[in-house]
Amino acid sequence: MFVIKSESRRQTFYLYLFISPWLIGFLIFALYPILSSLYYSFTDYDIIHPPKFIGLANYTEMFHNELFWRSVKVTLRYTFISVPVQLLLGLGFALLLHQSLPWRGFFRTAMYFPSMVSGVAMSLLWYWIFNPQIGLFNYMLSWFGIHGPAWLMNPDTALYALIIMSFWTAGSGMILFLAGLQGVPASLIEAANLDGAGRFRIFLNITLPMISPVLLFQLIMGLIDSFQVFTQAFVMTQGGPNYSTWFYVYNLYTSAFKEYRAGYSSALAWVLLIVVMLFTAVIMKLSRRYVHYEGGSRR
Amino acid sequence: MNKIVNSKRPAILLTTALAAMVAVSGCGGGKSAGDVAAGDSGAGNSGSSGEQVTISYYTIDSEDRTFVEKLIPDFEKEHPNIKVKVEKAPYEQFDSKLQTLIAGGNSPDVTSHYGYGGFAEYYNKDMLLDLTDLIQEDGFKPEDYHIPDNLMKIYTVNGHTYGIPVNMYVTLMLYNKDMFDAAGVSYPPSDYEDKSWTFERMVEDAKKMTLVSDDIAKTQYGVDFTWAERDMRPLYFGAEPYSEDTWTNGGVPSETHFDSPEVIAAYQKLFDLVFKDKVSPTSEWSKSVAGQNGDPFVAGKIGMSIGGSWNLAGANDFPFKIGVAAVPWGGNDKVRSTLFVDPLLILKDSKHPKEAFEWIKYLMTTEVQEKSIELSGGNPPVNTEAAEVYYKHFDGIDPGDVKKVYEGAVQYGYESYNHLITNYSQINDMFINELQPVETGHKTLEEVMPVIQKKVTEIIAR
Amino acid sequence: MSTVKATSPLGPPSRPRRRLAPVKIASFITLIITTFLMLLPLFFMVSTSLKSKREMLKFPPTFLPESWAWSNYADIFETLQFGTLYKNSLIIAGLSVFGTLLSSALVAYGFARYRGRGNNFWFILLLSTMMLPYPAIMIPQFVLFSKMQWIDTFLPLIVPAFFGSAYNIFLLRQFFSTLPEELFDAGRMDGCGELRMWRTIALPLSAPALATVAIFAFIYSWNDLLTPVLYLSSSDKFTLPVGMASLTSSRFRIPPWHLLMVASVLAMVPIVTLFAIAQKQFVEGIVLTGIK
Repeated sequence: MFVIKSESRRQTFYLYLFISPWLIGFLIFALYPILSSLYYSFTDYDIIHPPKFIGLANYTEMFHNELFWRSVKVTLRYTFISVPVQLLLGLGFALLLHQSLPWRGFFRTAMYFPSMVSGVAMSLLWYWIFNPQIGLFNYMLSWFGIHGPAWLMNPDTALYALIIMSFWTAGSGMILFLAGLQGVPASLIEAANLDGAGRFRIFLNITLPMISPVLLFQLIMGLIDSFQVFTQAFVMTQGGPNYSTWFYVYNLYTSAFKEYRAGYSSALAWVLLIVVMLFTAVIMKLSRRYVHYEGGSRR
Repeated sequence: MNKIVNSKRPAILLTTALAAMVAVSGCGGGKSAGDVAAGDSGAGNSGSSGEQVTISYYTIDSEDRTFVEKLIPDFEKEHPNIKVKVEKAPYEQFDSKLQTLIAGGNSPDVTSHYGYGGFAEYYNKDMLLDLTDLIQEDGFKPEDYHIPDNLMKIYTVNGHTYGIPVNMYVTLMLYNKDMFDAAGVSYPPSDYEDKSWTFERMVEDAKKMTLVSDDIAKTQYGVDFTWAERDMRPLYFGAEPYSEDTWTNGGVPSETHFDSPEVIAAYQKLFDLVFKDKVSPTSEWSKSVAGQNGDPFVAGKIGMSIGGSWNLAGANDFPFKIGVAAVPWGGNDKVRSTLFVDPLLILKDSKHPKEAFEWIKYLMTTEVQEKSIELSGGNPPVNTEAAEVYYKHFDGIDPGDVKKVYEGAVQYGYESYNHLITNYSQINDMFINELQPVETGHKTLEEVMPVIQKKVTEIIAR
Repeated sequence: MSTVKATSPLGPPSRPRRRLAPVKIASFITLIITTFLMLLPLFFMVSTSLKSKREMLKFPPTFLPESWAWSNYADIFETLQFGTLYKNSLIIAGLSVFGTLLSSALVAYGFARYRGRGNNFWFILLLSTMMLPYPAIMIPQFVLFSKMQWIDTFLPLIVPAFFGSAYNIFLLRQFFSTLPEELFDAGRMDGCGELRMWRTIALPLSAPALATVAIFAFIYSWNDLLTPVLYLSSSDKFTLPVGMASLTSSRFRIPPWHLLMVASVLAMVPIVTLFAIAQKQFVEGIVLTGIK
């Protein structure tokens, strides 16, 4: 009894010892901004004048706001397509490049390349690729006899253009999976191989469970990030054409800095936080059964 | 550091008011009035003479704005007790940084409305210092700085002055001489009094230069009519989208008329350029040719381009010969050009309004305004004397034409709504998004304009 | 179950040669095609960076520069104070990477290895800090840093990294969780302290993950525009993205895209170098040393 108690104390002691840098940082740098934004969300705050408490008015307003619902729809559509496809692409590239192939280092660098380019250069490039008249994308479609749309300039296709763009950064996912694949013991695979298991079986029964923590990480981070997509809409489409790329955080940003409504904007932020939190909780819960942690401390 | 922010405001007002009473109001304008040393009155109890004061000037981080840094050494030599610090942000972040600075108690002293929003936004949010007392105390006279009276009036609301105009852009026509020569069309006039120069004649000329071809490299259009922002365009044809009381009502027009038959008819004329006469490009084509914010005129694909005079600034680099012309008459006898007058503003939270005003006066002197033209690469001054230098700034363009076009534009000018109407950046965003289906031919104006009318009303009421 | 020694996968999984060849050929072809697509940005950047100002305005744009304007690469040093910008960015990104690696590895280890009370609570809180969008906390954070008198210094851009970044903590926690308990039991028997086990067992075994964190942290700091715009006001402290943004910031001028591309190409150099070094971690696999 005593031993167990002291063991749990020991665990607690080391937990706090190791996480103390973050805890301290959280208290110094994050707590105040987070609480302030929570407070602002209950106020009428135009940034210039002191905030005025108005209760839940900001929260109730958004449900009647047309642009709010538009932004929710746009963001969900983006997330549900872009996150799974990015995951699959990242995993696919990682598996391809986990083999011993000539020029492997070069291929890896090349795959990751688009994730290295900074914002403005990248958006300029994409503007050119999606150019309806002379763009590369429609040029390639024309090989298959398809007359491509105006992409970023057409309300029906602009969001999909941004989704396609997001695939180019699958390289980040790839290197995470590559790092995960390093942890898969070769001996396990060799053993399975000797048992006559096929490639696909090995992947499904050994590789996939072994990299499931990385997969979970990417799924959750993919969700958090894509719910906050902003830069593309800000730099390339300004939420248009005809509001077709009016993302949630774009709406939030405009509310704060174009409309001078920091209170309303903070309320938007907290609603987002709660929704993403719910999504994350559900995924975490479901993942308990599938995600495989080798370490003894959680099971 | 100065951390007391709000508690100090009454002190500033009180001291400036006192100072205004004491000051003999006849000390004349012109250069630094000498009394700057007594300037630190705003900081309350801090001593008055010889105290070093730092003011910050907030602007856009681009060559045509940050050139002011080169003007600072001379200013500081003249005003040994004032240091000027330039604070800057890229255009896209201009507003968010300004708001953050103010919220954080680091408000800049002097700035202009260089972000998305215009003067009315700042005015309505109560961000600006009323300069009336400062002006009186200082004895500042716009004539001494050759600032035309009508421009001073733009930023004077109900007898209170909130901004000193510094740069003035007008609407003008740029034309591609090479395209005119190739089509054998005579150049458009620079004289606003030339009665033959009408919208209809412009369309006729444009037809002769338009060439729509399957080969994208050969396609070119006669005219690109981007007169002011979208909401203002009906005014060109004589239809008024906003009621006239906009100004007396603090940037909040009491009525808007976007669904009126006159306004719809005016928009129809513009869209006819694209869809009926086919002399103007669709927005899709323009963006394909020139990129997101680019101008297809620059690529040499447009015969005549009506737009802001900032288009002139790049003129020395265009790979073809250009000229400037008057905006043709389109049905409004009074208004043919939008004016975009940028004022210098002092923010309400400024700790050193007096010193800030010295800096503003310095930027307005003829000498500095002249110097600024060259340093900025062609920013048009408000100072009418310095303007003479501006007219001569552009290679290959007749200074006489530039002068005529500018003077005509002022005579038939109207200050851009984006400076006059509150919540303008939202109005503009809304217009761009709601009009988009019309620009691509998917919807008609009759369908869209009532929606726009409803939304404008909502935004203004906010 | 599954308590297999994490032996190093000495090279990737190998299978009998003759059955493998077609798969490898197919992989190779797929890779060539995707690589081509992925390298388009590079091609476009380099090609534009070598065009003259006039040629840049041409429509339709030329595929390759008509005349190669190598002088653009000298011009960027005149147009921007490119050397200063580069140096500032290197200092900030370098220190941020160091801080992030050190602190995130410690914190992640704590979350992954110790069941102590509150583990879940703090971990959820950690995740939630990533769920509030930046614009929502931008203003209060500025107020905070300005109270600390940190405005116009590198501190707001560097110091927080030393207190762990949520993303990288989460990432490393996932990796540390996959390390087999037996390794640590062995270490404990050898009398290793907890911190020592962190350093000698967890860190070396997670080299690929740490390399990933280093790359991510570097790119994040290197390309960050919003924070330096907000916190820096003196030009001699500006970073590369801020300088690059100033090129395209005028609403009234034709942006010098060619120069922007020069800057972008040069800005890639440290990232590519870092990546080329770091990705070797993925090739060599894990070598266990010091543990029986």
